[in-house]
Amino acid sequence: MTHTLILSAILFATGLVTVIIKRNAIMVLIGIELMLNAANLNLIVFSRNNPSLSGQFLALFVIVVAVCEAAVGLAIVLRVYKYYQTSVPDQVHELKD
Amino acid sequence: MPELILACGILLLVVVALFLRGKKTNLHALLTLAILTASIAYTFFSWAFYHTPVTLFGNMIHSDQFSCYFRILVDVATALTVLMAMRNKSLSEKFNSEFYTFLLGAVLGSHLLMMSTNLVMVFISLELLSISSYILAGYSFTKKGAEGSLKYFLFGSAASAIMLYGFSILFGITGTLEFTAGDFVNNLSANQSALVIVAAIMAFAGFLYKIAAAPMHIWAPDVYEGSPMPVIAFLSVVPKLAGIVVLAKMTTTFATTTVSFDWQLVMAVIAMLSIGIGNLSALWQNNAKRMMAYSSIAQSGFLLIGVVCLTSQSMQAFLFYSALYLAANYAVFISLQAFEKNSIDSIASFSGTGRSFLFLSVVLLGGLISLTGIPPTGGFTSKLFMFASLWASYEQTGKTVLLWLLIFGLLNTVVSLFYYLKIPYYAFLKSPNASLSPENTRFENFLAFILVVGILFLFIRPDFLMGWLNTINFVL
Repeated sequence: MTHTLILSAILFATGLVTVIIKRNAIMVLIGIELMLNAANLNLIVFSRNNPSLSGQFLALFVIVVAVCEAAVGLAIVLRVYKYYQTSVPDQVHELKD
Repeated sequence: MPELILACGILLLVVVALFLRGKKTNLHALLTLAILTASIAYTFFSWAFYHTPVTLFGNMIHSDQFSCYFRILVDVATALTVLMAMRNKSLSEKFNSEFYTFLLGAVLGSHLLMMSTNLVMVFISLELLSISSYILAGYSFTKKGAEGSLKYFLFGSAASAIMLYGFSILFGITGTLEFTAGDFVNNLSANQSALVIVAAIMAFAGFLYKIAAAPMHIWAPDVYEGSPMPVIAFLSVVPKLAGIVVLAKMTTTFATTTVSFDWQLVMAVIAMLSIGIGNLSALWQNNAKRMMAYSSIAQSGFLLIGVVCLTSQSMQAFLFYSALYLAANYAVFISLQAFEKNSIDSIASFSGTGRSFLFLSVVLLGGLISLTGIPPTGGFTSKLFMFASLWASYEQTGKTVLLWLLIFGLLNTVVSLFYYLKIPYYAFLKSPNASLSPENTRFENFLAFILVVGILFLFIRPDFLMGWLNTINFVL
């Protein structure tokens, strides 16, 4: 159990770092997916000794939601690419103070 | 259940859209209005029934009068959004059936979010609300709109991933996902570790993002500037109310545990930061939409005061404040949309509009005064109730942070006067730059006028709404 929790913590940290330092929106999306999967791993490990299995149910729902999120996210990135010819959020700066 | 009406309504909209492909029609909007009216009517007439809370779907959701009230508010707000969308000149043709489908999806998400007592339900309904609003934010079909929607999406999904990780740790500690259950509270109290606090803060991050409260507010100005006016009005009310309601429920749970951590302090600091950052940044804005974005950040700080105190008095003040915030915000956005139609969007371009659009400018002034909180508007009464409840809970607990929040809030009400009255200042006291050929804004005048009359009425007779709120049972 401890090993899996460490793995999920590493996954989460990797995801968070990816979201923060990667410049491409696609890489940020990948980072978000890593973070969601880290949470999934946690949920599954914690519900192993839990008779209610509610953690595993949540993990199933998270998988579905992650797919929806990725679909919508890619559509939005595609639209931004159409207007700006780039998918790097730093180069997308029409809006500012 | 109004949620069933909404869910069936979404399916109905999709099916109807299949038969109306490519036709220019208002039918989608009218159908959406009908669905929302049905939902409001159902909630209204089942009011007495929910006096004793009902638990549904195996303890997933908890339907009571508290959530009924907010469900009515959310539906009213969405109905006003639909009316705005129908009158949006440049975009009404692009607001097709998908627009209304996503709008109803977001409403369904916020309904469920406000009732949920289980982390599974919280996550799913929050995502339903979020994913719909990411798409809505891009509905202006411009360069700016695409950028706003990308930023909203990237920040939002990162925040919800962090929130989910927090949930998973809370599940590991407590062994249950029902955050109102006794097990949840007891197991949290038994585990006095820093992990509980870290997990709870991660879990709160997602909600704070939805309500655009201080550390998580960065997206708001950009998204608001890029989105069409009906969507901004929607985003500034519906996700905000839903987020604060669920935040209140979660905070209640954490406040009842014996974990030695001061939630009131954290919430008070967040409220202060939101009020301060929102107001000070709003002072420097030249664009009306951006200004309203910062104003909505400050307003969520004021709404959070209800969550800081968590007494039944503060909850009543919070309910009252929400209704007034909704009315004033929509009055402002409806008149801003009418001005936008006449290509008036930056604050400087409001010069002299008091002459060509007298009625609209007066109505806009009414809404802005109510947001500031000066008499004779209901905004004053709602701020008064809010601060009175804060004072009462300061006297009860003697925590200095509450006194600081009170003083800070009062000072900031004065600060907000400067930016809220900037547009009326230009409108009434400056001379016009160019001659304007006014477009027809009769419908907007009428709609915003009704809202402003409501605001004024609640100043004269606050007991009209307060008496109703007194009957609500506040067991969160």
